Amino acid sequence: MKVSLFVTCLVDQLWTGIGVSSVEVLRRVGCEVEFDQRQTCCAQPAYNTGYLKEARQVAQRFISIFEESNADAIVSPSGSCTAMVHHYPQLFASDDEWLPRARAVAAKTHELSSFLIRVLKIEDVGASWKGRLTWHDACHGLRDLNIKSEPRTLIRNVKGAEFVELEHADACCGFGGTFSVKYPEISVAILDQKIDAIERAGVDAVVSGDASCLMQIGGRLSRKGSKVRTMHLAELLSHRQ
Amino acid sequence: MNHLSSETFRENANAALADAQLRGALKSATSLFGDRRRSAAASLPNWEDLRSQARAIKDEVLSHLDKYLEDFVRAAESRGAKIHWARDAAEANTIICRLAAEHKARIIVKSKSMTTEETHLNTALEAAGMQVVETDLGEYIIQLADEPPSHIIAPAIHKTRGQVSELFTSELGAPPTDDIAQLTGTARATLRDRFAAADIGISGVNFAIAETGTIVIIENEGNIRLTTSLPRVHIAVMGIEKVIPRFADLEVFLKLLPRSATGQKLSTYQSFITGTKRQATDEGPEELHIVLLDNGRSRMLAHPVTRQSLACIRCGACLNVCPVYQQVGGHAYGSVYPGPIGAVITPQLMGIEKTSQLPYASSLCGACREVCPVKIDIPRLLLHLRGEISERKGSAGERLVFKLWARVMMSPALYKMSAVTGRLLQRVVPVSKAWTSGRDLRPIESRSFHELWSDE
Amino acid sequence: MNNEARQEILSSIATHLAASAPFDARETPVDHPVTLPAQPRASNLVDLFKQNLEAVDGHCIIAHGKAEIANALTQIISALQKTKLRAQRIAISDAPEVERLMHMTDLEIEELGIAPNSSEIFNFDVGITTAQAAIAETGTLVLDSARERHRLVSLVPPVHIAIVDASTIYETLGETLAMLQNGKELSPAVTIITGPSRTGDIELILTIGVHGPQELYVIINQ
Repeated sequence: MKVSLFVTCLVDQLWTGIGVSSVEVLRRVGCEVEFDQRQTCCAQPAYNTGYLKEARQVAQRFISIFEESNADAIVSPSGSCTAMVHHYPQLFASDDEWLPRARAVAAKTHELSSFLIRVLKIEDVGASWKGRLTWHDACHGLRDLNIKSEPRTLIRNVKGAEFVELEHADACCGFGGTFSVKYPEISVAILDQKIDAIERAGVDAVVSGDASCLMQIGGRLSRKGSKVRTMHLAELLSHRQ
Repeated sequence: MNHLSSETFRENANAALADAQLRGALKSATSLFGDRRRSAAASLPNWEDLRSQARAIKDEVLSHLDKYLEDFVRAAESRGAKIHWARDAAEANTIICRLAAEHKARIIVKSKSMTTEETHLNTALEAAGMQVVETDLGEYIIQLADEPPSHIIAPAIHKTRGQVSELFTSELGAPPTDDIAQLTGTARATLRDRFAAADIGISGVNFAIAETGTIVIIENEGNIRLTTSLPRVHIAVMGIEKVIPRFADLEVFLKLLPRSATGQKLSTYQSFITGTKRQATDEGPEELHIVLLDNGRSRMLAHPVTRQSLACIRCGACLNVCPVYQQVGGHAYGSVYPGPIGAVITPQLMGIEKTSQLPYASSLCGACREVCPVKIDIPRLLLHLRGEISERKGSAGERLVFKLWARVMMSPALYKMSAVTGRLLQRVVPVSKAWTSGRDLRPIESRSFHELWSDE
Repeated sequence: MNNEARQEILSSIATHLAASAPFDARETPVDHPVTLPAQPRASNLVDLFKQNLEAVDGHCIIAHGKAEIANALTQIISALQKTKLRAQRIAISDAPEVERLMHMTDLEIEELGIAPNSSEIFNFDVGITTAQAAIAETGTLVLDSARERHRLVSLVPPVHIAIVDASTIYETLGETLAMLQNGKELSPAVTIITGPSRTGDIELILTIGVHGPQELYVIINQ
């Protein structure tokens, strides 16, 4: 199976470890991974802030690049970016030229855990990590892509990891893209509910499928001097003792 | 009344965040409501089918709203109701004040109606010299406190029993108590003689049935039944979107609304009112007036994304699951319609001039869409409004930022350069205080993933 | 009816719907079933009704025939007479059977009012009516104002006692709505009642008994 990696601009600039781990995991389960260096962004920031013209420009670039690939699937370590690509058909709903192209690319694009479980039908990637951890359901992955059981299945198969379900695991972390800086006080107030739940869970790490949530959560945990670390699912799955 | 304005949403929200009592009240109210709704929905195995069916019915009505409205009017008039059309809030208030004057009304009892809050009817009636008494307990409390409602279902949810007791002591001379049953009893006793003395009863409408001309009003307290059966004149005020096609359609909505709002299988009382009494000696009002209010609703029909806002059945479920509403409450929105649905209909009803912050005050988490009994895609609506606002009222600075951003994202060379620039800049330029006031920030990686891949 | 406003509103609706047409074509309609699948039938409607009424703090008594109904009335009212609800001034609807049943009891009361008017009704402690039908799946009573004068009797006094025939208990709301409509004109006022009045408006804490009755007794005649 050949996979084209869509690494996302956030991971590319701020958390390369997630990209590296994703490649490792995909290779470990037998995929050939290609990376198109021309890729930049899925256009989510513009789309979510209401700049549709700019969003379409960048989305068209994404589509043009990835439709050239002969990979079987486009895989991304981000639920929100994958969901954005799945919104491309709506973005080009009145465009007879781009709509079918958008549909084609969207149909091939998968979030990592969803790809492993639903496409490859692999539940155990041979990972091991010692400690107590919990999972935060990132909103777009959960509600747009229905990703809920997949990460949990994968985590439960990580040897040595003790998984506890987070109270209100599906509650938003308060990031919301530009919302986090347009309304920072509200964003942090929402975040603190998540932080309280994480602290009550008594875990060593909180895992999620979106770097944005992890930055939001991690940023507050470190500000509060917490020892709880944040980990992306890819990082957990690539881990071996 | 000192309403907060939507224009100052950010300041309103920050003030709310600093109010520990309010946040405590919100936390318990929204989680209780949320839990009850969840259990009630889970108890119906065909919940998802019901949602779809309700939405399909609403879509059918809204896409032929003129026809269904005329059907409703014809049927209601044939049963003795008098219909009044109001293009906007001012016209609705004028019509109602005129009716009140014609009937030489002095005392008017009102049951809970968001639509009349929208038009500020009470202010107009009081200016015309009428005494208007809210009879729903929550509405009565906020009327005494001179505040707007903070939640669609439970208007006084922001008040603790202590605050209610203080209010009843100062306004009614009641002895202080922390016994909620006693507080309720005080309101009941005080309002009893208002009901008896009222010349006119004003209510809202939950559903208006086109087929039969029936108006359906739902409650738990009994004040709506009193308001609509004791006074000689009943005035029912409804937004034009309240129409549903057939009497039988009620089944779907009565299954969804009480469960979504309070977790009940059915609210205590449903009144199905069709026209006026048949004989003068029968019980009930002599006259029924129905006021149909547009006030910007017809404009919302112009696009499928905005049209769905009119499907709202005012259950309040979206408020209870919204992470923003949970933190700041209803007053911050500066509108009678707060929370997720408020963030989308307020700009549409009132125009974006003063309400442009509201569609941005969301993390787009989608929890509201999940619980909406009529499947309104609120996040999609928020994005639609953000698009409109950035087009018509956007800041030139922000527009420029995104133009540049698009340039960078479309060019691998520029993208690479921006990464390098970013790494340099972060050493000298203080990072956004908006982020760092509460959170630490990850530094930009010294080598991007693109670069690492090339290395390989 | 104010025609100018009517024309403007209808015209605004038509214009805006027309403007929406090109966008509508691109939308995927919400998927929905044409009819809802049939739900399983309950075997005992009286039991189901009782269970659901009690779940909303109503009281349910099952009686067989007039003598038992009269007996039930006696028991309810004499018990209430020992409380501060007094139950001395009883209002009844104009249904002849209710008056007959009251005469079958030997209750000592101060006053019996038959369908008192709006100024008198506030003086009564208990209201007794029949109900035209009931809904088992929610423990709901159906009161049709065209068939009985009980609109105020069932609402104003703090206690409401309703007598309903087991044969008029429907299982679902859907069936009940169909019955109400059944090829005839709907009554001017139909009220459906599920338990005593309540509110959660203060701190979401449930209080029974607000503006409507605080006690609801349903006597099922089986």
